[in-house]
Amino acid sequence: MPRLLKTSVLILSLLASVAGIISAQSTSSPYSIFGIGILESKSIGPSKGMGGTGIAFMSDLSVNSMNPASYSGIDSLLTIFEVGIFGKYSSFSTVHDEQSTVNANLKYVLMGFRINPWLATSFGFSPVSSIGYNINATAPVEGTPQEYLETFSGTGGVNQLYAGASIKLLKNLSIGVNSAYLFGNITRMESSATFDYSYKDVTYVSNFDFDYGLNYQINIKKWKYNIGIIYSRSKDLRTKNTTTITTPTGTETLKEYTYDYSIPQNIGAGIAVRNGFFRAGVDFERSDWENIEFTNVYFQTRNSSRYSFGTEFPLPGSRKGTGKMIFLRFGGEYRQSYLLVDNTPIDGGTLTFGTGLPLKGTLNAINVALELGQIGTTKRGLIRENYIGVHLDMSLRDLWFRKRMYE
Amino acid sequence: MKGNGEGKEGKQIFSFTRFFLFIPIIFVTGSILISSCTKKYEFTMGQDFFDSQTRLQVIDTFSVNLSTVLLDSVKTSATMIGLAGGYRDDIFGSVECEAYFDLRYQDFEEIEEKAIYDSAAFMLKYTGYSYGDTTSLLKLNLHMLTEKIEPYAGYLYSTSSFDFSPEVTGSVSFYPAPNSSDTAVYLPVNALGEELFNKIRDKDEDLSSSDLFSEYLKGFLITSGSQDNNSVIAFTADNDNLKLIIYYHLDNEEPEKKEITISMGQENHQFNAVKYDFTNTLLEDIKTEGNILPSIRTNNYGYLQGLVGLIPKMQFPTLNEILAVQRWKILKAELVFRPVSGSYELSGLPEKLLIYDTDRENNINSALQDEKGNSLMATLDYVDINEEEKQYTYDITGFINNELSDAYFDYYHGLMPGLDQEKFTSSLDRLLIEGKNPPVKLRIYFLTY
Repeated sequence: MPRLLKTSVLILSLLASVAGIISAQSTSSPYSIFGIGILESKSIGPSKGMGGTGIAFMSDLSVNSMNPASYSGIDSLLTIFEVGIFGKYSSFSTVHDEQSTVNANLKYVLMGFRINPWLATSFGFSPVSSIGYNINATAPVEGTPQEYLETFSGTGGVNQLYAGASIKLLKNLSIGVNSAYLFGNITRMESSATFDYSYKDVTYVSNFDFDYGLNYQINIKKWKYNIGIIYSRSKDLRTKNTTTITTPTGTETLKEYTYDYSIPQNIGAGIAVRNGFFRAGVDFERSDWENIEFTNVYFQTRNSSRYSFGTEFPLPGSRKGTGKMIFLRFGGEYRQSYLLVDNTPIDGGTLTFGTGLPLKGTLNAINVALELGQIGTTKRGLIRENYIGVHLDMSLRDLWFRKRMYE
Repeated sequence: MKGNGEGKEGKQIFSFTRFFLFIPIIFVTGSILISSCTKKYEFTMGQDFFDSQTRLQVIDTFSVNLSTVLLDSVKTSATMIGLAGGYRDDIFGSVECEAYFDLRYQDFEEIEEKAIYDSAAFMLKYTGYSYGDTTSLLKLNLHMLTEKIEPYAGYLYSTSSFDFSPEVTGSVSFYPAPNSSDTAVYLPVNALGEELFNKIRDKDEDLSSSDLFSEYLKGFLITSGSQDNNSVIAFTADNDNLKLIIYYHLDNEEPEKKEITISMGQENHQFNAVKYDFTNTLLEDIKTEGNILPSIRTNNYGYLQGLVGLIPKMQFPTLNEILAVQRWKILKAELVFRPVSGSYELSGLPEKLLIYDTDRENNINSALQDEKGNSLMATLDYVDINEEEKQYTYDITGFINNELSDAYFDYYHGLMPGLDQEKFTSSLDRLLIEGKNPPVKLRIYFLTY
């Protein structure tokens, strides 16, 4: 039994117990009320420390699922297994009020490896969006001067199980595709402890989705320049709704509502540059939310954009090219929201600082990234979120699916 | 061939076996990812984003028909409480209570030669309950029955009666002070006592067996002894506390006082008869109207009184209209009413008020129960800050939801607020319900969605 299997089973069970103990959701934000919830960043591993930048990066010691064309870069001997967890402290504020939350969650699990010199693959599980809020509101008891406490809560989100493949068409040109099965639920509940009722609206969503990628590399002396392009089509999600009302006399299933949920067309491009152990990149992404219909009267949509940059370099003085080399990473990201609440954008920006630490005596590494960010505004009575997040990524690498053949 | 380390001949190829081993790990981890999304955080901000799908309103416009039902009779046997006296007022009319009981046979001990009879009396030990004005003089008479007390199918009722001798065997007038329960009033029966004393001393045949004893002393009846009586008192009517005591002494140098005690007889022979008269009250016509009067005939009042058998009935003629609305739930239903102002200064208000369901024949059926299976009771609260007006509130959510569950509400299925079993069968506790200003309200917390 390979050492890796033992270590990874150990780490996995550790993660599982940690996740069980904190038992938290990946999002707690009032803005997750809208649509399919808060959209999750697609970046993985080292990219988390580089402002989420990754469209033009080739996968090498980590799998970069942002661009399926990148799998061609996976070292021919390695099987890479990645697990990510994310913890976040958020402070939500309005002009009058401030509240904070802490949550943590296992975020993704995926793996990548090369099958032969021209074909590489990756598959795994990751979130697309998540919903988490529990909002206490007062509602009138009509016909009386009384008010009562009504709680609006939401859970769920969309996840994806994907399998992707990358083909090396030419020496410098790779293309790839991720085929994903999207699934999840959007659960909204209105309830009152005082009057003991709950109105629960659960919409199960699912569909298949494909995203495509291309990566082209130009080598000029020691410098390698990569251009990455990603594209995915707009997709309607299949929905099945169940709305129930529960009172002490029982639970009644109401008419099934029809909701439309969609994933917009998404196009992105990035440029990366690499020289030895130094690399840097920029990303631009655009999602055509404007064409997506929502029924909520409180917000409008517009086309959203994402801009990011990031860089990675060895810690000065650490031994380059050895198993003890430590990477430092830095980056930033700006997201223009697809949401306009009361005609006000809920834009967000983050700065990230990361490091890649080798694990002694193995090929494994731990990538840690610190994220400082802000989303939204307190203008127009809206809510601003300031947060500090910590990403922890285990990158486990071994010659796992290999066996040696002797001739 | 040696396979150590990086053999030059070695070639790495992809192993599908190892790959498939890995798949369960992906699934396990994935399911942890999904299932771990459970905890909720509470915000107070963000409520402006919501368009509530539910609407809660209170509707108290369903009309409630109030009427007063007079029961044919109330079961009063074996309550172990004797009630005697009379009272009258202009609202509930006049009422008289008569306590029936008999005595228990015993093997009488031989009375000494030197015994000399002194006196005899029935001991009536107060229970602490009274009705009316206990500061005025109360006169009670004792009569002997001329027929034996025979329960009908095991029970006796407020309307039951047995023949008695018009001759007054004993009488007592007193100012009742029933609030101290360890005091008693003694009703003297000296002539009867002497007769019994002699029979015991002479070993009379009447005392030789239980049958002959009950032929000789068939039973007793304590009646209201005066038209001027202004109260009814309750005394404990059980084997230990209701007794005839014969006092005598032994004619020695030092007189030695002695007594013979004869206890109350069978428990189910003990009962109270109630006579009432509604003449010159608003209830005057209730018997001729089929034992029910709507509140419009009684100044919008609803009447409740224990042993008399007056019980208010409430019906909900318009509740069926709720069924015309789509998509609703009744989260709470309260029945709210007030006692008529100033109607309870003398007699007080019932502390425990239950509620019974009733039918077209005005029968009192089962008492409604709360979620724990206990009898549903009204809460009694002050309505105003000055604590002048009070109101009773019942949570009848279960009843209303149950009645509407078959999408039909039976108008004849009404509710009757009433005393608990003990007070109903052994007290004259009363309540006058206001039916107009304000009316009895059915207050429904109505959720639409």
